[in-house]
Amino acid sequence: MSAVSDTKAEPMIEARGIHKYFGGSHVLRGIDATIARGEVAALMGSSGSGKSTFLRCLNRIEEPSQGDVLIEGTVITDLRTDVNRVRADIGMVFQEYNLFPHMTVLENVALGLIYVRRRPRSEAQETAADALKRVGLADHVTKHPQQLSGGQQQRVAIARSLAMRPKAILFDEPTSALDPEMVNEVLEVMRTLAEEGMTMVVVSHEIGFLRKAADQLIMLDAGQVVERGPTARVLDEPEHERTREFLRAIR
Amino acid sequence: MTDIRTTIDDWRNRGAHQPWFRRYEWLAIGLVGWIAAAVLFLPPFGKPTPLGAAGVILWYLTGFVLAGVMLTDREKPILLKRATSLSVIVLFFWLFYRYSGTRWDRVQEQFFNFSRMDGVWELYAQGLLVTLQLSIVAAVLSIIFGLTFGILRTLGNPVIDLFLGLHVDIFRALPLIVSMVLIFYALPFLGIRLPAFWAAVLALVLMNSAYQTEIFRAGIESIPRGQIDAARALGLGPGATMRFVILPQAFKIVIPPLTNNLVSLVKDTAVAYVITVPELLTTAQQAVTWKRTPTPLVLSMFVYLATLIPLIHLTRRLERRLDAWNVR
Ligand SMILES: Nc1ncnc2c1ncn2[C@@H]1O[C@H](COP(=O)(O)OP(=O)(O)O)[C@@H](O)[C@H]1O
Ligand SMILES: [Mg+2]
Repeated sequence: MSAVSDTKAEPMIEARGIHKYFGGSHVLRGIDATIARGEVAALMGSSGSGKSTFLRCLNRIEEPSQGDVLIEGTVITDLRTDVNRVRADIGMVFQEYNLFPHMTVLENVALGLIYVRRRPRSEAQETAADALKRVGLADHVTKHPQQLSGGQQQRVAIARSLAMRPKAILFDEPTSALDPEMVNEVLEVMRTLAEEGMTMVVVSHEIGFLRKAADQLIMLDAGQVVERGPTARVLDEPEHERTREFLRAIR
Repeated sequence: MTDIRTTIDDWRNRGAHQPWFRRYEWLAIGLVGWIAAAVLFLPPFGKPTPLGAAGVILWYLTGFVLAGVMLTDREKPILLKRATSLSVIVLFFWLFYRYSGTRWDRVQEQFFNFSRMDGVWELYAQGLLVTLQLSIVAAVLSIIFGLTFGILRTLGNPVIDLFLGLHVDIFRALPLIVSMVLIFYALPFLGIRLPAFWAAVLALVLMNSAYQTEIFRAGIESIPRGQIDAARALGLGPGATMRFVILPQAFKIVIPPLTNNLVSLVKDTAVAYVITVPELLTTAQQAVTWKRTPTPLVLSMFVYLATLIPLIHLTRRLERRLDAWNVR
């Protein structure tokens, strides 16, 4: 667990009063969050509570209807922002991996480096190979994603984010689609990242992992934050009835 | 010797759990009975009476069913299956040859009369060249417009959608021959005069780009949302996402319908005959009048087949190669 001591520095990610409407439905109802540099924040909440939508607002894969997102103190939710630059600096890992099936593992990881970071191809492939080594997949670079197990695919997805040298990585239920025996290999990689000081926002219900890796826990319900605090405190002495109910249900 | 014995034993054992009618002995009995029926009941060669014709057809169908019973069994050797299917097909043509009552010597003289073809081959080559030019120009333009329109339709802009939707509706509904005739014979009254070749190109492109708009749109829309999310999350812009992530995947999905469309396009170039474009069919028709034999027309049929069948198989190969992504 990394220290959150650098108080004078700006938070890495700050969300201010995020609202989101899909047509008539009010999915996010004013969410605030502050995630410091090197901090791991966990989002919890029942299905449909808006975890994914909030996470996707942080890199504007979804446009917030109202409210601001700040990355290192810079507002990214206005018209002048180059969203592609913002997104290049924030990694994202999806529940369904979303690897590109028509590319090899190495090409998957190098794609952003070549066409977003504008690195020469050979250099990009070196960086990509390094990232794959970090997630323990050095032997699989020439395979296509479909030839890998779910756990391996998710690690490729993490390497794809890592290779971009992001300021933070967003994880949306990264182990929910995995067979149980593969969950740990992915969580292990994530824990190593956390220890190395990567700023992370993680939607996850893996209590054991969160206890070890997450600094802050945010509990969402119906598009609102019902409770937040240090992970151990929220898990062991939940103050809100909704949190207690939820924790009972997933245990 | 023992080899053959064990092979036969092996076959018998493999067939042991098969129903009685799929066992070799019963198949042999069926085959003998079927041949005996031919010897006993089939009418003499030549044009048969209606009853005789019915007998021939019934006899053939019986053999067909017999072969079918045998072929649907997974355990019989593939060679036997191939040989059987081939025999059934050959038998069909042989029966037709023997019982249709056609004067085959006359057929050869009429349809395959190569003695009077001097001068025709050159004409023919020109026709084929025009057909190829027409096909390639129309195909390339159709793909360019079809792809562009297909992409534009996925943007969800209502104004663009209205126009492209109209184009798709109109030119999928309008028979090609109608639009071609209109463009060539009616547009001059509005002061727009196109050479026959370009009128044909225009009509072909209008129709096929309409079909292809829908083909490409469907292909693009079938790419899962998560692929786009992943590309955008990396920082790729809409154009790069389309180019590096969506189109390569959509391309594979689009190949079968696109091939169908391009094959139809090549076939449809023959419609340009009605507006005097000197393509293959037109020149064949000219040769028919000139030499007073239908041979050139028959030949043109073979040219179409010889061009299109390899094209179809080529794309099937391509499709299979792209399938390599999906290996497990
Ligand atoms: N693109 C969308 N269009 C319409 N409704 C959506 C869309 N995405 C999410 N929603 C709705 O927003 C709510 C929150 O969804 P989501 O953020 O995915 O929840 P969670 O990730 O917590 O399960 C759900 O009710 C869902 O149906
Ligand atoms: Mg979700």
